[in-house]
Amino acid sequence: MPWPLYLALKQLFPSGRRLPFFTIISIMGVGLGVALMLVSTSVMGGFGHQIKTMIIDTQGEVQIRGRSPMEATAAVESAIAGVPAVAASSPYAQGVVMLEYGHRPAFPVIQGFDLARIRQVIPLNRYMTAGSLDDLDDDSVILSSLLAGSLGVNVGDKLDLYTPLMLERMKRNEVLLPREVRVAGIFRIGHQQLDSSTVLCSLRLMQDLYGLRQMVHGYNVRLKPGADPDAAVAALNRVLPPVARALTWFEANADFQAVLSFERNMIFFLLTFIVVVAAFSITSSLLVTVVRKTREIGLLGAMGGRARSVAACFCFQGLFIGVGGTVAGLGLGFLLLHYRNAAVHFIASFTMGQDVFEKFYQFSNLPAYTETKDVVIIVVFSVIASTLAGLIPAWRAAKLKPVEALRSE
Amino acid sequence: MSNPATVLRASGLRKNYPSGDRVLEVLSGVDLTVAAGESVSIRGESGSGKSTLLNILAGLDRPDAGELFWADEAAHQLSLGDLTARRGRFLGMVFQSYYLIPELDAFANVLMGARVIGGVGAAERARTAALLKRVGLAERGHHLPSQLSGGERQRVAVARALMNRPHVILADEPTGNLDERTGDSIVELLLGVCAEEKAALVLVTHNPAHAKKTARQLLLRDGRFAATL
Repeated sequence: MPWPLYLALKQLFPSGRRLPFFTIISIMGVGLGVALMLVSTSVMGGFGHQIKTMIIDTQGEVQIRGRSPMEATAAVESAIAGVPAVAASSPYAQGVVMLEYGHRPAFPVIQGFDLARIRQVIPLNRYMTAGSLDDLDDDSVILSSLLAGSLGVNVGDKLDLYTPLMLERMKRNEVLLPREVRVAGIFRIGHQQLDSSTVLCSLRLMQDLYGLRQMVHGYNVRLKPGADPDAAVAALNRVLPPVARALTWFEANADFQAVLSFERNMIFFLLTFIVVVAAFSITSSLLVTVVRKTREIGLLGAMGGRARSVAACFCFQGLFIGVGGTVAGLGLGFLLLHYRNAAVHFIASFTMGQDVFEKFYQFSNLPAYTETKDVVIIVVFSVIASTLAGLIPAWRAAKLKPVEALRSE
Repeated sequence: MSNPATVLRASGLRKNYPSGDRVLEVLSGVDLTVAAGESVSIRGESGSGKSTLLNILAGLDRPDAGELFWADEAAHQLSLGDLTARRGRFLGMVFQSYYLIPELDAFANVLMGARVIGGVGAAERARTAALLKRVGLAERGHHLPSQLSGGERQRVAVARALMNRPHVILADEPTGNLDERTGDSIVELLLGVCAEEKAALVLVTHNPAHAKKTARQLLLRDGRFAATL
């Protein structure tokens, strides 16, 4: 082992002695920065990943949207099915309705699906908490959990449903009779917005409520495993009529994704400063070490040690602190991620409470999704920053002349 | 060209230091020849230039004028980098303040002498063990400097200086921080191991008794050797 490497290791981790305070503090500084970067990027990645899963589970990987209600003709459907990447598709129609139960109104979004095909595209069964998708017919609806809770309804209860079409009839002084529907089931996705204001029904009921006849608003499309959504969308847009346009799940939610991505990058950027501050503290501590060990540096020169080797010794110390801090930070970060929900629930119980957390932060649990690319960026950044932190002390040490260093008091 | 039996030769060494508006002449033409295996002591008052001379002889400092030969090599013509590269093999140094590395135990401190100039293998480890035994610290190899007395630390420093089988040992007041009895033992040790290793010894000391133990005694006064005692 080259002596600068050997001496750097011995100075940071002396055998038979406790770890020097400088080593502990420096490694902790880098470690905390790395842990915070890992936790924040993983949690933000978790939000993104959960939202992606939720969008794909509720819309499919690709959504075909009509610029206006479009005929669900056999020609359109065979054009969609003819794209090799498409595994299944299901038409949908959506709008807003008013629900009333026991004089309690609600104004949810209602989505109508083709009951015979929807399961091939959207795994709704996975989210059912009461009732069954099999019980859904043209006279029933499935409610999201928070909506059902706010109305106080259970499976089997009957609701009154009003649509915007009824306003036209009101204007003509016709008697306004709501559509009575039965609650066939309750679902919970885990996203506050969807869980608080969504109603699912059959496509025929939706077409009836909105007077769409045989028309639909679009199609949800499930792709074959491993298919590229962008390529699939390009292929679909080549065969679709001009009135319809295919979008990937990402494009369909581009604004939201852009905000999420921006927040994630900003948080990462801000947290890099923790590592930068830690790197400055390493520089400061190593400079003190250079001053404290001036005569030892002189001795190494007197023993035949070259200036560049002395400099390398301090660079190695920065490197080892970086590596040690990064390893400790990754360990701490993954530990925090493992216990994140317990920690959040504990904090929430002392502050705003779990319900408020779910209400304002959309999710019942704190999601986390760690991408290998993020870990690589964090590791490379922290190790490079720590190594660079050793450069100034190394340069100072290399500049010391042995004769002056030995003479110093 | 130096005599083959000469390991260290300096002639006409001059060294000045600026002191305010004046120039302080520390060495004003020092001549010195040290033969292989010879022991030489240099005495002088504080500020007489003993340490400056030793630093120049070690190649740590440059003379303003004069020549310095390490065996047959004209050291005064070498760059500081080349001097550093050759120093570790040519000479060993012992200082008043020991300068042991506090994070390394006695064994590792001695072995450091070999590490700095090259690799460390079984031969170097065996020599380290032998040197520690020779200086009476065979059982103290795994003790840190903080666990050793002043005399023991200086013994470790002596072993370290001898690690690379140098031609010359330069000792700069090695007993300055020790009590008289311990100092005597260190000087005896230095003379003994240098004789065994056939290394020349240049001993800078204030102590006349220690100086008298060397084969030749020099007195540095007004920047040059006043006499051979």
